[in-house]
Amino acid sequence: MSPNAGAGLELRQLCRQVGDRRLLDRLDLHVAPGECVALLGPSGCGKSTTLRLVAGLDPASGGQVLLDGEDLSERGPGERQVAMVFQSYALYPHLSVAGNLELGLKVRGMAPRERQRRIDATLELLQLGELRQRRPAQLSGGQRQRVALARALLRDPRIVLLDEPMSNLDAQLREELRPELRRLLCGREQPVIYVTHDQQEAVGMADRIALLEAGRLQQVGSPRELYTNPANRFVASFLGRPAINLLAIEPGRQLGLRPEHLELGDNGAVAARLLRREWWGHQQLLWLDSPWGTLRVLTAPEAPTPPEPRLSWQRQHELWFDPQSGARLAP
Amino acid sequence: MRLLVLLWSLGPLLWQLRTSLLRPEALVAPLLDGNPWTLANYQLVLSGDPPFWRYLANSTLVGLVTTVLTLLLAVPCAYGLHKERGPVRWGVGLALVAAAMFPTVLLFLALLEIARSFGLANNLLSLSLPYTALSLPLAVLLLRAAFADLPPELEDAARLEGLNLGQRLKHVLLPLLGPALASTAILVFLASWNEYAIALTWISRNDLLTLPIAIARIGGGSVFTIPYGAFAAATVLGSLPLLLLVLLAQRSIVSGLTRGAVKG
Repeated sequence: MSPNAGAGLELRQLCRQVGDRRLLDRLDLHVAPGECVALLGPSGCGKSTTLRLVAGLDPASGGQVLLDGEDLSERGPGERQVAMVFQSYALYPHLSVAGNLELGLKVRGMAPRERQRRIDATLELLQLGELRQRRPAQLSGGQRQRVALARALLRDPRIVLLDEPMSNLDAQLREELRPELRRLLCGREQPVIYVTHDQQEAVGMADRIALLEAGRLQQVGSPRELYTNPANRFVASFLGRPAINLLAIEPGRQLGLRPEHLELGDNGAVAARLLRREWWGHQQLLWLDSPWGTLRVLTAPEAPTPPEPRLSWQRQHELWFDPQSGARLAP
Repeated sequence: MRLLVLLWSLGPLLWQLRTSLLRPEALVAPLLDGNPWTLANYQLVLSGDPPFWRYLANSTLVGLVTTVLTLLLAVPCAYGLHKERGPVRWGVGLALVAAAMFPTVLLFLALLEIARSFGLANNLLSLSLPYTALSLPLAVLLLRAAFADLPPELEDAARLEGLNLGQRLKHVLLPLLGPALASTAILVFLASWNEYAIALTWISRNDLLTLPIAIARIGGGSVFTIPYGAFAAATVLGSLPLLLLVLLAQRSIVSGLTRGAVKG
């Protein structure tokens, strides 16, 4: 056994069932120290459930949460040294910024001087020094998010969990904050789990992405692995915008082709007719009518469209799926 | 328009104030001679034996003890019900609504029996017991709703920071429930302040009477005269502490509401 075996956060066969509803079904996931894994999926897929189980806020119906080989399952949320940033930030509205940071340290019995030192250092790190006496209601969305982050990082947590921390911010601010968040979170020694439903955010934040649907893990891997080699149709169609084209070409098999892999030319396998053109600046998206239904094709922004376009593609880009189960089939 | 609405609400109170300041003869017909205004009604009320402030003190004591007792019992119950899922929550909730709607009048003979067998009669503190019991269902329902209005992540965040239940209540939940606690306390205090039937049957000693009973006992010059002026003066005096209470609590209610919530 290497000295590093079992290091980091490991979820083993983690389950959560409420009544008849299976919210999370036997999740296995390993997050290495310093690694950021994004839990991605549509709402209700079990990603927030997973976070709450790791934090100990909800009891697991089965399975284990291990940190550096140590089973956390029997520990309460206050004893796990887990920090979590909530979607709503969950700042205490009756306390100032400094008060929000101080409460957790105070109940742990930390001496006032040490508390002040830590709070000052964290506020400095997040450039919140001037806001220390403000109430949450007097802060902007981005500032609240930073305060929530400060509160999470203050206690030197062993695990950092983020539950859609950016979804209350507008799109531009989100993009601005992403590198900052990465700088603060990743590359420290804690494992980080980042929950989001936004694939751009997942790709921007995480080293690896775990895609969930209906409580089941669909695939884990780097963004590139998930995109180029999806385990099933759900993964293929969830990742990538505009979405993959799914074509019922032959009985018993479904062909998936990414919009950027379809080529327009004068000679191709299939005739098509241009319906609409969306011009995005760096690319253009063409909507085409074909015998297989409406297709999305991405081309260079200034690429000319032939008067009678025909579609072609390369064999290596073909992704085949079972039309019923959605499972990936060998080409 | 605003003035009209204000008059509509304050009219009866102002009328009461006017009645308390008029000579008895001036109440029924305009006086032909002399000044109709007088402080005699207040003198009559205040010069009684025991003095009027004694009743005020009695009612205040009962009200305060009732309010504190009710909140002490209602807060844990409301929190527990708020956290509870399934049939217990449903059943207890239903029982509370039923208890809150139960006609009190049907209880007071039984309560009198209880007072007799446990020696609770003629004791102001023991009067708080039935008052607390009667206020509790409504207080629990109000506070449960207030707990439910708090964003659940606030408590989750506090749990993750290692706050135990007592610390969460003290540092996070109760400060945020300030306005709800204040309004519940006022309701409970008011109910105790105005209660008549139980106070009438449990208390017979003159110096232990609560305000409503004391006011009802104010007599006129003869059995045939009704001392409207004295009643009115006693009512005005009896309302002053309430006015003070609401004015004080109002500040906490308003400041609580402007604190700003999670998303703001």
